[in-house]
Amino acid sequence: MKNIFKLIILIGSFGVITSCNDAIDIVQPGRLGAENAFQNFADLESGLLGTLATIDNTTQMQFNSIFTDEVGIGDNNGGQGLTDGTYGFVLNAGSNAPLGLWLKFYSTLNSANRLIEAIELVDVEPGEQARENEILGEVLAIRAYTHFQILTYFSPDYTDDDALAGFLVDFVPTVDQQLDRATNGEFFSLIESDLSRARSLITTQRDPQGISLDFISFLQIKINVYRENYGQVDTMAASLLADYPLANRDEYEDVFFDIGDTEVIFKLLRVINGPYDRQGATGNAFATGWAGANWAFVDATINGAPYFDIGRALFNMIDPADIRYNVLVGETSIISPDPAAESDFINNDVLLLSKYEGKPGQPLLNDLKIFRSSELVFFRAEAAAANNNLSGVATFLKELRDVRFGTDTPLPSFSTAEEAFGAILDERRIEFAFEGYRWVDLKRLGERGNRGILRSNLDCVVNNACSLPATDFRFTLPIPLNELNFNPDVRQNPGY
Amino acid sequence: MKTKIHWLGLLFLVFSTSFLFAQQKTVTGTVTDSGGLPLPGVNVILKGTNTGTQTNFDGNYDIIAETGQVLIFSYLGQKTIERTIGNSTIIDLQMKDDTEALEEVVVQGYRTATKATSSIAISTVTAETITNRPNANAIQTLSGQVPGLNITASSGQPGAPPRVNLRGVGSINGNTDPLFIIDGAPVDANAFRSLGNNDIASISVLKDAGATAIYGNRGANGVVIIKTRQGGYNQKLQINYSGVTEFSSLQDIQDYDLLNSQEQLRLERDQTTGLGNGLTDAEIAQFSTTDWADVFFRTAAIQQHTVSLSSGSKNFTQYTSLQFRDQPAILLNSRLTRFNFRNNLTGKSNNDKFNFSSNIAIGYSQNDEPNNIGGAGINRNLVLGAFQSLPYLDPADLGTGAEIFAAGNFFPNTPFLLLDLVNTFERREDELQILGNFDASYEIWNGLRANVRLSGEYRQQILNQTEFPNSFNALIFAGPQDPPGFQIQDYEGQFLYNQVTSLTYNKSFGKHTVDGGAYIEYFRGFFSDFGFNADGLVPALAAPGDGSAFVPDNPDNDLFVDTINANRLTSGLFSYFFQGDYDYDRRFGITGTVRRDASFRFSESNRFGTFGSVAARWNISEEEWFGDSFVNSLKLRGSWGVTGNQFISNTAPRGINFDAPDLTRDLFVTNPGLGGQNALFLNQIGNNTLQWETTEEINIGADFTLFNNRLRGSVDFYDRTTSDLFLAAPISPINVQEVQININDEFPTLSTNSGEIKNSGVDVSLTYDLVRSKDLNLSVNLVGNYNKQEIIDLPTDTGEIINPGGIGSIGLQERGLINEYFLVRYAGVNPENGNLLFLDADGNETENPDVDTDRVFLGTNLSPDYQGSFGFDLNYKGLFLSTQWNYAIGIDRLDNDLAGFSDPTNIGTFRATGDLLRAWTPENTNTDVPSLTASNIALDGNSDRFLQSADFLRLRFATAGYDLPSQYLQGTGLNKIRVFVQGENLLTFTPWRGFDPETVNTFNPGQSRLFPTPKVFSVGLEVGF
Repeated sequence: MKNIFKLIILIGSFGVITSCNDAIDIVQPGRLGAENAFQNFADLESGLLGTLATIDNTTQMQFNSIFTDEVGIGDNNGGQGLTDGTYGFVLNAGSNAPLGLWLKFYSTLNSANRLIEAIELVDVEPGEQARENEILGEVLAIRAYTHFQILTYFSPDYTDDDALAGFLVDFVPTVDQQLDRATNGEFFSLIESDLSRARSLITTQRDPQGISLDFISFLQIKINVYRENYGQVDTMAASLLADYPLANRDEYEDVFFDIGDTEVIFKLLRVINGPYDRQGATGNAFATGWAGANWAFVDATINGAPYFDIGRALFNMIDPADIRYNVLVGETSIISPDPAAESDFINNDVLLLSKYEGKPGQPLLNDLKIFRSSELVFFRAEAAAANNNLSGVATFLKELRDVRFGTDTPLPSFSTAEEAFGAILDERRIEFAFEGYRWVDLKRLGERGNRGILRSNLDCVVNNACSLPATDFRFTLPIPLNELNFNPDVRQNPGY
Repeated sequence: MKTKIHWLGLLFLVFSTSFLFAQQKTVTGTVTDSGGLPLPGVNVILKGTNTGTQTNFDGNYDIIAETGQVLIFSYLGQKTIERTIGNSTIIDLQMKDDTEALEEVVVQGYRTATKATSSIAISTVTAETITNRPNANAIQTLSGQVPGLNITASSGQPGAPPRVNLRGVGSINGNTDPLFIIDGAPVDANAFRSLGNNDIASISVLKDAGATAIYGNRGANGVVIIKTRQGGYNQKLQINYSGVTEFSSLQDIQDYDLLNSQEQLRLERDQTTGLGNGLTDAEIAQFSTTDWADVFFRTAAIQQHTVSLSSGSKNFTQYTSLQFRDQPAILLNSRLTRFNFRNNLTGKSNNDKFNFSSNIAIGYSQNDEPNNIGGAGINRNLVLGAFQSLPYLDPADLGTGAEIFAAGNFFPNTPFLLLDLVNTFERREDELQILGNFDASYEIWNGLRANVRLSGEYRQQILNQTEFPNSFNALIFAGPQDPPGFQIQDYEGQFLYNQVTSLTYNKSFGKHTVDGGAYIEYFRGFFSDFGFNADGLVPALAAPGDGSAFVPDNPDNDLFVDTINANRLTSGLFSYFFQGDYDYDRRFGITGTVRRDASFRFSESNRFGTFGSVAARWNISEEEWFGDSFVNSLKLRGSWGVTGNQFISNTAPRGINFDAPDLTRDLFVTNPGLGGQNALFLNQIGNNTLQWETTEEINIGADFTLFNNRLRGSVDFYDRTTSDLFLAAPISPINVQEVQININDEFPTLSTNSGEIKNSGVDVSLTYDLVRSKDLNLSVNLVGNYNKQEIIDLPTDTGEIINPGGIGSIGLQERGLINEYFLVRYAGVNPENGNLLFLDADGNETENPDVDTDRVFLGTNLSPDYQGSFGFDLNYKGLFLSTQWNYAIGIDRLDNDLAGFSDPTNIGTFRATGDLLRAWTPENTNTDVPSLTASNIALDGNSDRFLQSADFLRLRFATAGYDLPSQYLQGTGLNKIRVFVQGENLLTFTPWRGFDPETVNTFNPGQSRLFPTPKVFSVGLEVGF
């Protein structure tokens, strides 16, 4: 008995000592360490798909519409936009929009820079070299685009190279890095060098669902316009426009049903069971799901629980003969003949947004159109206005309206450049409604065109937030609190 | 009747045998304690035989014996007495206190000591205050009973694990639960939902480092040791039954002054919104008022039945118990039904050299647990419906899911969405838990023992969640998917194995006693889960947990492609440690522990940590010079030690053993990319310097009994410093990872060891016998703790971390509190325009504070400064009455329920508080409620406007009952009948206006719409035979 027991203890102790390492040296199953993430060419392709998938535009769409005069309160509003004050022009470092954008932009850069680093390290077969170059070119273009987006939202003045933008990140960051904001000049110089490198690597001319040479051309024109370097704009825009003629009325509808890509230079693909096939954060600038869920909970019909609808002021500007009316305004809308006389305006004047009806199988889920060639027409008009070529502006605007109406429309006339810029802004308001342009357009053109946020009085009864001039400091986003919490010395934008 | 005959026969036998044969006779007698009171449960054994009995409730025994045999009387804490049987058949006996054993054996982790020779800080709660308590979670019943143990209910869901913190919050991001040990098996806080509460014999809480260092790798936040009941050697079969019926209901203490239908409709009319807009007074008068809290909450009747059987022979004991508990909760669709079985065995060899014990407990429970509690989903959170629904709606108007869907206008119809959820949504977790352990010990040589302890816990949960196809929620999310409906099933299983082998030595040499041991501990954990989410349920076949209704994928579309998931994790720890204890003449003692611990979490960084402790005592009252005085006993204790924590994550959805398993690594994952193809994403940025979080603790205390043992108590002063804190340190968003899935959760942080916090305070426990007599005993008791938190060091340059964990209302600063409120100060209403006034950072009034720079630390948080309980125990001839009042002082909470009731933008959508009726208007300028159209109303979300004190004094527990005196039981075959009534949360005094000051999400102090803990009243019966 005694000896047997001693033996058991001896064996037991031996067992424990030999097996102790199995209790500590544990590698969890199903983990992909960073050191093994990029091994071959196929991994680089997967990495590119991942980087592309980090690009989202729903926060821009949400913020540009709720903060400005694109929306009114919908009949299913449960405090969205009101409780957090976005609809009441409350914008500060703690708001969701600056944080959501900041996080999204830097997540894309973090992903892109890691892929660029991996491309340098991974050896590919000779036959794969061309495609590897293409991948590198595309990631560089994504990096340029993302930096330009950061500048768009966080720089107070695009035309001032000394103004501050955001952090310039063209490297894989380390966790202890406290960066400082770079200037617009530094931003533009990195963007330009990334784009020119990308242009030398990419061979694809056009690809509406991916990065192409035309994507780079469009981005370069857009940057020039934002910087008000109008010199080459008209020529470049006209040349690109030749390859992407404006969509006719049927094609235009097809673009928003996601069954056609006419005049689309770049869009973000959104598919069923893809990463954005979810409701997302409704009523919140984080958004990040079905595009249409920024305005309605369920679908784009009257039963779809719209919590925002089309603002009355915007609606009044859209001519029902315009194809854009068909795309924007839902068929089941309740349109009051005399909204001002309604005792219950919110429930008796429900102007449904149908631009993001969804695709077959999933209401509210649509591709996000980022670059459409119709904007090239506006760029040409803007360049003309800047050169005081007022009749040129009129011609360009008529060109667009003729296509949208499918018939000859009257030629507008302007007596001052301010009028012309105002007309450009008004037309953009319709053309790019709910696509994430309005706030940026007002920031850029509002002062030149004498326009600001101007809601219908009916839409601002709830909070008296009816108008905001385009010169207000809130046309630049604050650096979000999350960054300031870690990095208290970062220079904040004026007004915050 | 049969028993009565047996009794009569026995009496007859007594007379006849004693008269006729004289050698074999029945010896009877009464055993009393040193105070002359009858002592039940004394073991009476015939020396040298297996025959024995125990005294009954009145201290009486009878045993058949022969003249000349020796009876051994033994009882814990009393000197063992032997008596030789002479001519008399009656042997009455008064036991004497055993000064060497005092009255208690104290658990010390891997060994035991007597109370006098224990050098550590420990509090023990006995079965009496746990058994039959109307609460499914045994840990919850500890609330207020142990000084320094702060228990915070997270939910009124039956069995839900509370937050348990010992001596303050010991970490910022790491897990702060104490280690729970059930009969030697380490478990986590989730183990108690399936544990029968009547099996518990005692719960000991090890508090200072001297006590916990022996559990060094898991004991940094204290150790709670649960012992379950055992049979006694030489004990006849004892069967006990207890049955309890409980009635629980919503605590009716909210004080929000919520509007009735007429008030609500008039408010809506004034604000030209909602149903009231445009109604006439006459129309408004037509409406009746619905209290939706009465619709979503109910009075629930709960049943619990327990049967236990215990017995023992000379070398073997057993304890077996069965329990059934059926607990519908006060919230609709919430219920816990549980079945428990336990079997505890002990055995030993004839020569006492070998002994063993084994315990096995099986618990099976079905939990109907509504989810999304605390959330803002008007179609998901039933509590939201109870609190916020408009009073003028009538539950009788509930339509089908399709009708609600077609009606649109969802927000004002919130209660109907949720009543539909009650009818068309089922969510159940079946949990099976098997807890087993085996201990064996063999004395190899004179005081040297070899020991092994093996324990295992297997726990599986199967979740079945069904959204029926006719439900509103199925319809709303179906889109073109026809049929609608969803079903989720998820299996989760984990097995934990713990093994300790040791050599121990215990020997006395004259006045010297040594006790020491060397130990090796090995721990492994295995986790797996898998499940699916099926889209589309054929209505005729839809049934929870059954797949007949599933719809297959088809070539036309991807609407019925189901999602699947699977996950596997393992964990492990390895340790070796030594401990020694030395006692000199029961006057001085010293105890020490040293251990080396390795954790799988740090396998790539700093795997081993070294921990240890020293504790010493001086039993002053044992000194010869001490003499007799009003002090009966006095012992001073002191300890110092360092313990480690490797539970990095405090949320731990998979249980603390598996979360955050490899934060040292940079990881990528594959997920659907742009077009749904598999793509590669960065998922985790690792920290390859992670190591153990360590807690250094100093404790000085005293145990004493005074005034003829009438006053008993202990006082402990402690100072705990936790360094190398697990801290989710903020990093710049330039490091942000894959964000498109859940941006809300992706505030970029890095798990680091940085910073230092300190908790210091005092624990007090006192009991005083006011009256002590044969018939009447009355004692009063007090349990108290004062705790002061202080952050010593933070890793940032500014010494501040703002919004840790992404929680907007809180911050950390050096010299400040953990999760201190960091908000703009609200300063009332501007009488000029009805706008809100705030204070800027410098204390000047402003209407437009800067949400960044005008926030200040407010010096308060969710942790109490003072907390504990007081009460009395009264006994009079079998009647007993006891109360326990819990108190907590220094708790501040954000009342976002009140914020919701006060939000003018909710008018027309949700119910409002009567406070709004006195809102600022040009005519009513002197008020504390801002104008309903105040332009800066949205800014109050960043302010302390709704920060309220949640201090409370509450009658946490009261019980009254009657033990039938044994003379009435004679001849019935029964030896115990007890009837009792009990109550929990009967009465509360608090400035908090909400439904329950205690129910709180400790991780997110602003969370509202929580499931409050109920008020419970119960009646019960206990029978023994």
